[in-house]
Amino acid sequence: MIYFDSAATTFQKPAEVAESVFRAMQEMTSPGRGGYPAASKAAEIAFDCRTELQEMFDAFSPEQIVFTMNATHALNIAIKSLVSSGGRVIISGFEHNAVTRPLAAIQAKISVAEAPLFSPEETVAAFAREMTTDTCAVICSHVSNVFGYAQPVNEIGALCKELGIPYIIDASQSAGILPLSAEKSGASFIAMPGHKGLYGPQGTGVLICCPDAPIKPLLEGGTGSRSSDILMPEFLPDRLEAGTHNIPGIAGLLAGIRFVKAQGMERICREERVLAAVAAEGLRQILGIEVFAEDRLFAQTGVLSFRHLGIPSEILAERLAEKGVAVRSGLHCAPLAHKTADTLRSGTVRLSFSAFNTMEEVFRFLNIMDFVVSAEMAGKN
Amino acid sequence: MAYYLIIARSVTYAQRIERVLSRAGIRCLVFRAPLELTKGEGCAYAVRLMPETLESAQKLLWENGLRQVRLLRADASGIREVEL
Repeated sequence: MIYFDSAATTFQKPAEVAESVFRAMQEMTSPGRGGYPAASKAAEIAFDCRTELQEMFDAFSPEQIVFTMNATHALNIAIKSLVSSGGRVIISGFEHNAVTRPLAAIQAKISVAEAPLFSPEETVAAFAREMTTDTCAVICSHVSNVFGYAQPVNEIGALCKELGIPYIIDASQSAGILPLSAEKSGASFIAMPGHKGLYGPQGTGVLICCPDAPIKPLLEGGTGSRSSDILMPEFLPDRLEAGTHNIPGIAGLLAGIRFVKAQGMERICREERVLAAVAAEGLRQILGIEVFAEDRLFAQTGVLSFRHLGIPSEILAERLAEKGVAVRSGLHCAPLAHKTADTLRSGTVRLSFSAFNTMEEVFRFLNIMDFVVSAEMAGKN
Repeated sequence: MAYYLIIARSVTYAQRIERVLSRAGIRCLVFRAPLELTKGEGCAYAVRLMPETLESAQKLLWENGLRQVRLLRADASGIREVEL
């Protein structure tokens, strides 16, 4: 299988990830509960993972690193901590349903900072226009899961800081690929999955909390701390980590993070960008294909969407799957992004690369695409 | 033999203390604090260290913003809370 769906989840992982998961299942129990060696080992691995994440994202301390089930869980915590029912929120035009649905559930008044694809300056200007003193929060995805558009999150953070508006960054598609500093971005919260660019297992996610951010637990329960207190502890990470941790997952996530550090984020991003650029150029040669790519991929990562003017995206994806190429088609849980890019009616086919994809796979994909499009168009005629 | 216990609010806080002290060459051990030492709060963790390292340890805790702790001294006469 040629796997080009890493924006959904990275499929090929470093061997150490599965090994770490297995070892954790054999040797570790639950941190913060027992005092015996297997519990201590679990506590050590969790702390090591927090420390690595703290360093990677320039967070204030390891306690500000909260483990979640996934980025959606992390975003729900962040949004529901900052936004009350009916509160005014500004979001980018490329947000995922993991942002828009929780906002809809709490009946937030959503304003979209509308700006075209791959236009960082216009994006900043759009946010500046929308921000007012009654804004509860600003939410921006670092990279669009549909188009790979890398938005200017630090510049938006500077605007938020000026007006004292709390800020959430969705780093689902950028964690492990683009550098992001909790301090420099000024974000109150940064949410990310463990299972995409950080190469951890599914069932892991991270929420980085800034020290001043108001924190509202989504779940209440046992934390292994202050057990006599009927209320959740005030301090992190315990306040947001009720229940038993996914220690095997966290162990795997730690291995994934160490892989990214060893490979180098810059190198991973550069190589994925090159694959996307070659794929974009090759797709442009196929009649009827419209590619959504920035000219030199500076404001884009290794995520690339395209569509065919005469063949539905789902059909293309199906034909590709039959030929052993795994891609995603449709709206990618981000109808707002499609609305912004005017692809809502057609959807797109998305390629999303990882550190394990090769140029040979891209060339094979392009040959297959050529064949698939020709066959489909011949069938239509 | 006397020793000191730094009572931390959570295992993560205790680990942070242990890392800061260990990096500075101060030997210490993290373990679950007995219930009677937690002032009725329930689950907590303790970092044990030797008297000769206390001054350096306190300085490090202060420098690293690790101030939300209680300090206990254990010796032949029992365990009592001491001022940080």
